[in-house]
Amino acid sequence: MRRQLGLHLPIWEQYLLYMSRILQGDFGYTIRGNQPVLELLLTRLPNTLYLATASLVIAMAIGLTLGFIAAYKRGTWIDTTLMVTAIMGVSLPHFWLGLLLLFLFSVQLAWLPVGGQGFGSLILPAVTLGLTNAAIIARLTRSSMIDVLNQDFVRTARAKGLPKAIVLFRHALRAGMVPVVTMLGLQFTYMMGGAIVVENVFGWNGLGRMAIQAIFQRDYPLIQGFILIFAILVVTVSLIVDLLYALLDPRIRYR
Amino acid sequence: MHSPAAIETTSAPRSRRTWLSRWPFVAAVFANRGAAIGFVLVVVLVVAALLAPYIAPFEPTRMGAGPRLAAPSLAHPFGTDEFGRDILSRVIHGSRLTLQIGLIAVGISLTAGLLIGLTAAYAGGWLERILMRGVDVIFSFTETLIALAAVAVLGPSLTNAMIAVGIAAIPFYARVTYGVTLVERNKPYFEAAVAAGAAHARLLFIHLLPNIIPPLIVVATLGVSTAVLAAAALSFLGLGAQPPSPEWGAMLASGREFISRAPWLMVFPGLAIALSVLAFNLLGDGIREALDPRQRKA
Repeated sequence: MRRQLGLHLPIWEQYLLYMSRILQGDFGYTIRGNQPVLELLLTRLPNTLYLATASLVIAMAIGLTLGFIAAYKRGTWIDTTLMVTAIMGVSLPHFWLGLLLLFLFSVQLAWLPVGGQGFGSLILPAVTLGLTNAAIIARLTRSSMIDVLNQDFVRTARAKGLPKAIVLFRHALRAGMVPVVTMLGLQFTYMMGGAIVVENVFGWNGLGRMAIQAIFQRDYPLIQGFILIFAILVVTVSLIVDLLYALLDPRIRYR
Repeated sequence: MHSPAAIETTSAPRSRRTWLSRWPFVAAVFANRGAAIGFVLVVVLVVAALLAPYIAPFEPTRMGAGPRLAAPSLAHPFGTDEFGRDILSRVIHGSRLTLQIGLIAVGISLTAGLLIGLTAAYAGGWLERILMRGVDVIFSFTETLIALAAVAVLGPSLTNAMIAVGIAAIPFYARVTYGVTLVERNKPYFEAAVAAGAAHARLLFIHLLPNIIPPLIVVATLGVSTAVLAAAALSFLGLGAQPPSPEWGAMLASGREFISRAPWLMVFPGLAIALSVLAFNLLGDGIREALDPRQRKA
């Protein structure tokens, strides 16, 4: 066992060995079952990505719309109600909201399955994760749009007689989206973190569920592999977001 | 030490509570209704934690205090769990753990983050580069992942969960401190102090520290809510507080088995978590707006 895990080597040699194997695509074997770690992780990865993507779509659809409305109607009761709802949404623990939704829709109404891996089983976890993140996006969109709506170019566009809708959607929306998109990268990583918890609430077979089981079983090669894969995902997403950023804001150019 | 921004707000809210006008900053915070509600909730939480043994009707771990899985009633307002323990008593005692988690975790991340950020911004040069690039690297791992990794190494327990959550947030506090310190050290008062020949210790502790504390208080207040949420999540996953403990996340975890028979097992601990997190969010938002009256970053 010691020899198999390379524990007889000094720590820096263990590290070098581990890293050189990683670069060759060898993540080692799990302690329990002796399965290849990378293969195991890759079979679970799509499930986590489905969940995170579906949540992101839900969060953006709700968050952007409500944040935009709140900014447009700022200072009115609509704005206040939306923002009070948003701060409550930010404070809701994922796992609690998940349990409540599970109780309501799966146990009481029996509309959706408890657990399972089909499309129907994806709805509740995605909504759970999406709703809490929608609150964050709504708050951000609102403050960003309020900033933009107060700027000179918006006033100029209105003053030269452009209809309100065109100014709002073509001029203001695009400028207002820049900080929101920057935040989306962080949002996505935050969502991946939330996915770990939500997967465990609903029994969704993603990376997060496997990671928690691995921690309980003290399956260190699997935990290490999980952390590495997760980190790679996060960095990739940040890179994509940085590139998107340049697309939205012509003032930024990467040479 | 008030920042100029805080003093400007003094005249704005004409509060009837005149004694408050002695402390303009506090008045500005309380003029915000959300912050006032948040403050009241925090006070309730603190009182519940301090007086838990006196106000809780039963011992939190006493089994058979009532019938098993009894629905909420006069004798047990929040119902009882699968061992006949009184949920209300457990929720009240849980407030002690929650406050403890929040304070210890934030204490760890604030202290370490402050040291790293302040050192990096003050020292500059290679030390700055090493420290801040290191922080950047760790920051990109996201807090949940760092906390999970820390628990995986340390093993599941409430203490380790606090440490894990504390460690996970260090990069965030380091970045905030670094940013604020960079701004402060370019201000005339600091340059004047350097020109007057102040020693390093004096520059750091008498000049810089008092000016970087106010923004950090905001971050720390909001940080308590994040820490409470993260620690509750760890306990819920079974990686934090372990079963007999009346920690709210752990209560939810054991209550989920009885979701169809005894939904009150998951309603009240969850509500307690949500309200505590909301309290610190509201308070933190209020303090931030009072510090920055333009409310741009709402």
